[in-house]
Formats: sequence, C-alpha cells, structure tokens
Amino acid sequence: MVLEGVARTALLGIEMGMTLVLITVGLTLIFGMMDVINFAHGSLYMLGAYFGLAIVSVTGNWWAALLLAPLLVGLLGGMIEYFSIRPLYGRNPLYHILLTFGFAIMLHGLVTEIWGGQVQNIATPAVLEGSVDLVLFSYPLFRLFLLGVSVVVTLALWIAIRRSDFGIVMRASAHDSEMVGALGTDVNRVFTAVFILGAVLAGLAGVLLGTARAVDPGMAASVIIQAFAIVVIGGMGSYRGAVVGAFIVGMLNAFGPMFAPEFTDALLYLLMAAVLLVKPAGLFGNPEAA
Amino acid sequence: MSVKDVLGRHFSAHRQTDVLSGRVRLGLVVAGVIAVLFAPFAQMVHPFWMDLVTHMFIFALFALSLDFVFGYAGLLSFGHAAMFGAGGYAAALLIQEVTASALLVLPAAVIVGALVAALIGWLSVSARGIYFAMLTLAFAQLFYTIAFNDIPAMLLGVESVTNGDNGLVGITSLTLFGMDTGSLMSYYYLSLGILAGMLTLVTRLANSPFGRVLQAIRENEDRVAFIGYNVDRYKVVAFTISGGMAGLAGGLWVPVNSTATTSMLHWTTSGELIVMTLLGGMGTLWGPIAGAFLVVFLEDTLSSIGNWEIYLGIVYIVIVIFAPRGLSGLFQTVRANPNPKVLLGKVRSALATYRKKVFV
Amino acid sequence: MRMPSESMPSEKRSKRYNRRKFLAGSATLAGVSVAGCLGGGGGDSDSIKVGFVLPFSGTYSFLGESIVNGVKLRLDQQLGGEIDGKTVEYVRQDTGADPATGASITQEFLQSENVDFIVGPVSSAVASAMKPEIASSGSAIWLNANAGNYKLVEDSCTQYHFRTSFNTWQTSAPLASYVNDNIADNVVLSYANYTFGQQSKNLFREEFESTGGTVVDEIGAPLGTSDYSSFLQEIENSGADAVFSFFAGSDAVNYINQFSSFGLNESMTQTGSGFLLSADTLAAQGTSATGMYSLLHYTPTKQTDRNQAFVDAYSEQYDMTPNVYACQGYDSGLAAEMAINEADGTDTDSRVSALAGQELDSPRGYFRFKSETHDPVMDMDIREVVETDDGVQNEVVETLSRVEGPTWGCSL
Repeated sequence: MVLEGVARTALLGIEMGMTLVLITVGLTLIFGMMDVINFAHGSLYMLGAYFGLAIVSVTGNWWAALLLAPLLVGLLGGMIEYFSIRPLYGRNPLYHILLTFGFAIMLHGLVTEIWGGQVQNIATPAVLEGSVDLVLFSYPLFRLFLLGVSVVVTLALWIAIRRSDFGIVMRASAHDSEMVGALGTDVNRVFTAVFILGAVLAGLAGVLLGTARAVDPGMAASVIIQAFAIVVIGGMGSYRGAVVGAFIVGMLNAFGPMFAPEFTDALLYLLMAAVLLVKPAGLFGNPEAA
Repeated sequence: MSVKDVLGRHFSAHRQTDVLSGRVRLGLVVAGVIAVLFAPFAQMVHPFWMDLVTHMFIFALFALSLDFVFGYAGLLSFGHAAMFGAGGYAAALLIQEVTASALLVLPAAVIVGALVAALIGWLSVSARGIYFAMLTLAFAQLFYTIAFNDIPAMLLGVESVTNGDNGLVGITSLTLFGMDTGSLMSYYYLSLGILAGMLTLVTRLANSPFGRVLQAIRENEDRVAFIGYNVDRYKVVAFTISGGMAGLAGGLWVPVNSTATTSMLHWTTSGELIVMTLLGGMGTLWGPIAGAFLVVFLEDTLSSIGNWEIYLGIVYIVIVIFAPRGLSGLFQTVRANPNPKVLLGKVRSALATYRKKVFV
Repeated sequence: MRMPSESMPSEKRSKRYNRRKFLAGSATLAGVSVAGCLGGGGGDSDSIKVGFVLPFSGTYSFLGESIVNGVKLRLDQQLGGEIDGKTVEYVRQDTGADPATGASITQEFLQSENVDFIVGPVSSAVASAMKPEIASSGSAIWLNANAGNYKLVEDSCTQYHFRTSFNTWQTSAPLASYVNDNIADNVVLSYANYTFGQQSKNLFREEFESTGGTVVDEIGAPLGTSDYSSFLQEIENSGADAVFSFFAGSDAVNYINQFSSFGLNESMTQTGSGFLLSADTLAAQGTSATGMYSLLHYTPTKQTDRNQAFVDAYSEQYDMTPNVYACQGYDSGLAAEMAINEADGTDTDSRVSALAGQELDSPRGYFRFKSETHDPVMDMDIREVVETDDGVQNEVVETLSRVEGPTWGCSL
C-alpha cells in the first residue's frame, strides 16, 4: 500500500515536472538569450488553452486543437516580439518587465472579455479517456499521454539545440550575440525565432493542461511565479537547468502535500531563496552572469 | 552579456549630478501649493476626490521608497510589498489592540518596515542585479504565505493574528494629539504632509555623502569597493531606509481603507509599484511620484469603461515603447521644446525610429 | 499561487490586478456623482438608489454580472424600473474582489452617493471589510447577495445586514444526516484551506459526528491548487466510503475532474457544499461529476411553478439559464421592493422593520428573513448530478424544508 502510494506519487511528480518544463523552457531561453523577463509568458500559456477551447468548439476535433493552438500562440508571440520587444533591445531590461506586464494585464482583460470569466474545460478526447493499469496502481491515460508528449518534445528540442545548425546559432547568440551578429547572422531573426519557439511550447502546455485542468483567466497568474522559481533554480538561460528545475519543483508539488500541505508554497520560495543565496546563477546557470 | 553589465551601462549615461535641480524644486513647491488648495475646493465640489488623491499620495510615498533604493542605489526590488504589508499589518494590530495614536502607530510602521527590509536586505545583499531582485521576490512571497496561512497564529498558539485570507477589518482611523483624523480632509493633509516630509528627507539623503556613495555604487560597485567602502553595508542601509518608508506608506494605507489584507503583500503589488516607478521615470524621485498619480488615476477612470484592463495594458505598452523615460522624460522633452511644431517633429521622429527598429 | 480572499475562491486572481475604483472624474458616472454631491441622489424622495459593490473584472466577474442581472430582472423588467412610484437608479463599482476596495466603495456609496440599498459582495472577505461602514452609517440597507461567512452575524451583528444568499452553515451541515442515512457513516473531508472551506468542513463535521457518523480524516489543499493528485492519494488512503468537500470555481472543476480521472468515484461517493457542483461549474466538469451529491439553496432545474417562471423570464431576458447568483440577485430585488413598499416611513430604520421576519416569493422556494439574525430561513435542495440530453445537470432528490441554522448569539 505504501509502496504503491509512493510509486504513484513519484510518477505524479515526474508528470507534473515534465509539464512544467514545457512552460519553463521558453521562459528560460528567452531570458538567457535576450535578457527579457517575460511576464506575459503565463498569458501565452493561457491563450493556448483558450485557443484550444475555441478550435474544439468550431471543429469538434481535439487533435486539431493540439496542433493548431500552439501554432497560433506562436504566431501571436512572434507578433508581440516583432512589434514591441524588438524596439526595446539594447534598452534597460527592466523596461521589458513593464512591457510584458502590460501585455499580461491586457491579455487577461481581453480573454475575460471574449470568453467570459467563468471556469471552462477542454473536453478530453474519447480515445484518451480512462485509466491504464500500471501493475502497482492505475493512472489516468490522458495524463500518461501528457507525460509522453512532454518527454518527446523535450528530448526533440534537446537534440535540436545540440545538433542542428539553428541550435548552434542559438547557443552562440546566447553566449555573445554581438559576435554572432558581426559574423553575419541576423541576430534579430534568431531572437524572434526563439521567442516564437517559447510561445509555441507555452501554447502546447496550455492546450494539454487546459484539457487536464480548468481553464479560467486566472491561470496565467497562477503559473508565472512557479515558472520564475524554476528558471531561477535551474539557472537562467539553461535548457538543462529548466528541465532539472522543473523536475525538482514537480516532485515538490507531488510529495509536499503528503507532509505539509500549507507549506508547499513556502518551501518553493525557500528553495528559490536558498539557490539564489548559495549559487545565484542556479544549478546549471552560467556563473559569469552572476 | 551579463545582466549586470547591461544594467550598469544604462544607468551611468546621463544622470544629473545633483538630485532635484532648482527648477524642479520650484515646480514641486508649486505643486505642493496646488495640493494644499485642492482639498477645500474638493470639499465643496466632490469630497471623494480627496480620497482618491490621498490614495495617490500614499502610493507616491511607496513609489518614492522604491525609487530611492532602485534609482539611486541601483537595487531592483521585486519584493517591496513585503515592507508595505508588514508596516500595514503592524499598524492594524497596534490600532486594534493598543492605541490609535498616529505618533505611536506610524513610527511603529516605519520600524517594522525597516526591520523587514533589514532582514531581507542583509540576507540578499550578496546577490547582484536580477538575482537580488528574485531573492526579494522569494522572500516577499514567503511573507505572503505566512500572512495568508496565519502562521504567527499557529506559532503563538492563538486563534488569529493576521486573520488569514480575511485580513484585519474595521480598523479605525488614527488620532493625532487626541484629534480624530478620520475625515477625508484630515487624512488628505496628513498624507500630503508626510509625503512632502519624506520627499525632502530623501532629497537630502540623496545629496548627502551617503547618497553620493550610493549613486557611485549604482554606477560601478567594484570600483567603490576598491576605494575602500563597505558596499554591502551601504546597500543594506539604503534598503532599510527604503523599507522604513514603504512601511510608513503601509501604515498610512491601512487606516484610510480600514483594512489590512494579504493583497498588500502579494507580488502584484510589488509589480504595480515597479510599473509606477518606471512609468514616472526612475531615478528622478519626483517622476515615480507622478507615475503613482498617473497609475492610480488611470485605474480609477478606466474602470468605468467596460473591460478596463485591456486599456490599461495598452497604455503601459505604448508608454514603454514611445516614452521610455516615462513622465519625467516626457516632461523634460516638452520643457526643452515648447514649440508645438518641434514637438510634433519629435513625435514623428520617435515613430520613425520605431519603424526603423522593427522593420530593419 | 492565487489572489486570495474569496468565498468563491481561486482567482486569481487572480487575480491580481485589482484596485479600488472611485467615481471621481469618470466620464460615464460624472453626471451621477455631481448630482450626488449637490444633494440629490438616494436621499431624494423621488428615486431609489441601488449600489452594486461587486467584482466586475477577473474570475468572479461572471458572478457579479449574474447578481446584477437578477436584480435588474426584478426591478427593471418586472417592476418597470419603479418601486412605489419612485424611479430606481443604479451605481456600480468594481471591487475586483479586494476587501480594501470594497470598503472604499462602500464608504463612497454611503457618504457621497447616498444609496438606499447596497447589493453585494461576492466575497466574504470583502463583506467583512464593508460591515463596519454600513453598521455605523445606518443610512442604507445591505442586501448581502453572496457572502456566506457566518461570522458576519456572529461578531456584532448589525440590523442593516440582510442576507439574500445563504450562510456557510446552511450549505454544509444539513447534508450531514442525509449522508449518514443514505450514503455512508464514515467520511473523509477535503476542502480548500481558507475561511470558507474551513468553516464548511468544520460545521459539517460537527453535525455529522453528532448524528453518529465518523470523520476518518481531513485533507486541506491550498486555495488555488490546480493539481489535486497528491491530495487525492491521501483521500484514497483514508479508506472512507464517502467524501464531503468544499471547493468552488476553478478549484471545484479541477478537483472533480481529477477525482474522477483517478477513478476515486468508483470506490467513494463524493458529496459537498453546492458550490462544488453548481450550474457554473458543471459545464466544465461534465460527466466527471455524474452521481455526485451536493447541497444548495437554488437549483435551476427545480420543478416548481415559481422557479419555472423565473427561469423562463431570465432566459428570455439574458439568453442563458439562471444560476444561484442570479437568484440571489433576484431575491435582493424582491427585498428592496418589499422594504420600500411595506415601510411606514422613508428612513432606513422603518425599512429595516418592514423587512425583518418577512417572507419573499423567491424562485428558490420558501424564503423568510429570520428576525433575530436577518439570515434566510429557506428550503435547501439536495441534488444529484445526472446526465441529460443537455449535458450534466443537478436533479433535486430531496428538499429540506425551512432550514434555519443557529443564531450564533445574535438577537436583533
């Protein structure tokens, strides 16, 4: 009994962690590369859920939503980057806070205006309903699917960053964008691409979690602080850090309630503070940046 | 490209050597006179305007506290809500349990705010730039969690201290020398007086040798350390002073609204404060005050229009792209170019710059 | 992590971007406010002024709008915008679910707008902040259209407070004997860990144990939790046959959906306070909620003539079925009507006397303001969620007649 409980909670932690990865990767890459603190990242996540809701109600097809909603969010993210963040490059990064905060507020109002403030949910596609028997315990099929998608996407991205040409350019730009620019690459294009990538991932998380969980305008604010905590713990700008950090926080969220439910939140902040005090650059962050 | 470098680069460019030039001081005095005369005017026409402006004064004080530590010492804080809330709750508890005398409650709020800031500052001072900011955020959220779950009550074994998500309500107004300050007008003058006093104090501080060292630290910390100053100590002291002011703002806020709630400690309060400071123009002291006025005013007027958040967000976005030095920058531009045609030209060139930056 | 202080929780909320709103300078309300300042407004014998102190932004905006719709259905559509020959005027301000804002708005409505009635709020935390103002002013009647915290009546109750909604005892304790008789004699309690959730589970527990039941365990989750998996694990470990819960809003949707997806609904029966499974959450909960029980004072599918008339009128006017908030708003309209019509004079105290102990013809069923507390004495419905052609809906399985609840030492 105890073993089953622990095993299931562990799987839970992994699943929660991996879904957080999708949200956090974009945030950390954007920060690492462009020094942009994107407060609107939670809003992009939220829009993924709402776009998904809209696509499902129009087409009746959940898979269409899974495919299209993240792309739409990516498009929107690209437009935001192109028209409002790009003109601010080279300026004090704090202005990005103001800008993205403004977007977060605006998008919150827009979503409430268009879709209303009441709670909604994207219906799970019939083929993914039900549970799976995993020897020790049973687990909802959809959540396993969620886990699977997150793992596949994370791995694919990892390989892409390590191996592809774009990945190399991306990492180089993160390290020294001026140099990369001097060598002839249009760094602005790279930045836009990274932003779009982050937005697509956040949108994907939105569709997936909008199915597993409730959809309401407050979901943006509820996710952004956790995302920032993970970025800090893992190291700003580090892909590996985002994955490990998300994993740690996922485990914390899974096991915390067993021991001290009121303090799970507090533990997260304490962990965040501890990392910042001991190794400000985070677990995998670049110490030079500290 | 480290964040610290970027931050440093942008701060060292063009700051005045003396805080609050003569012209600005004159302007502030004029503004002060208008403020004093506004109250009786409002009393006749629409008394509740005084309430709105009182809120502006209190938030201006809050913004001033952030600008002091941020614009002058270069310490970005995402956690100022912690001091604001701590001062507020302290004031609430004092008024409820002990006394409503302003002479005791307000200094207590200052001390509590300062202590919280000293603690957070001392723990965080080893971190730089954005990491310092994140640390303040983490600590502030801890305070929020503590208040929301009423952990002091748990620890002390009493039924309630912060009263969790309901907060403390029914807080009566402050008394000053036995007089109740509960009326709209007396609160107005009390807040105005305190704001004016704090502004003077901060200006003095910023111009003092202490303030100069802070500005030097903002420009280039390492160099200041090499000269022999204990940079960390200066930072903590600056942060403590800032925290005291934030606590004072909280202590004023609570009796005006007769409530002390956990929203005072939430990160969105810190966020709004940063918006006010940036919108007003950081580092100018009077800019953030104007920024606070603007934000409070906007949130008020826009709320009667359908979904006000949409418009508020758009205003922030437009200002940050086209008027990055905020209100103070706008004011200086207008001042320097009183000719409307020249101004129009400036607007056009701003748009052209935008087009160039985006579409290149 | 969410914005707090909600009897209807989650939020955000956000929440998050709330600020107090005042009338000063607002274009649309300028006319009204100047009139108010120049001595016109509610104290005027020609008009009745109703002030809405409700959330109009963020997660609770739907609840706020529903309440307003209910009030206006009665006062505007059915009474033609007049009570006793006087025109009804409205003012509204957005609390954003922030207690400080709510307190300021109340102050302004009382002092500057001279309202006759204050309708609202949604959140009990806001209500606590509003109460001292209203009690000391005595110039308006407070029609509490949703805040159920029983402490509003327990701590220094005020005669100006009339609850057209419910109190937390009524939406939790009365379910206890039904559960004990029909479902199981042992339960585990799960709740959102803040005032509303704590009160509900404590009151249920008291009642349940007094009828001989056993409470196996209590599991509290932080307000705004989006993933209850670990808590559900503990609920399952408790081994109880039934669960009593309090969650509302998006928390309720997440909790119920996850409860079912983890298969707990096969071995345990889920019951709860009505907000767990109410009209505004069922759409998002879908078939996950089937077979679950809840207790609430209003169910739109209740088959009575009075309710049908209300549902038809509301649907025609607003193109959607009413929910419990709309009904509470409607009853506030009825209360305002009665207070004006039945009062001996035009001062607030005589209106209070006219309302205390009176019955309202409410769509929910029987309704009377209890004289000692001004809390409602009303029928409570026990509902079960069933699948119909229109999706999942609540079906009333039993109605508890004239549920009162304690007076908590209040005696008005």
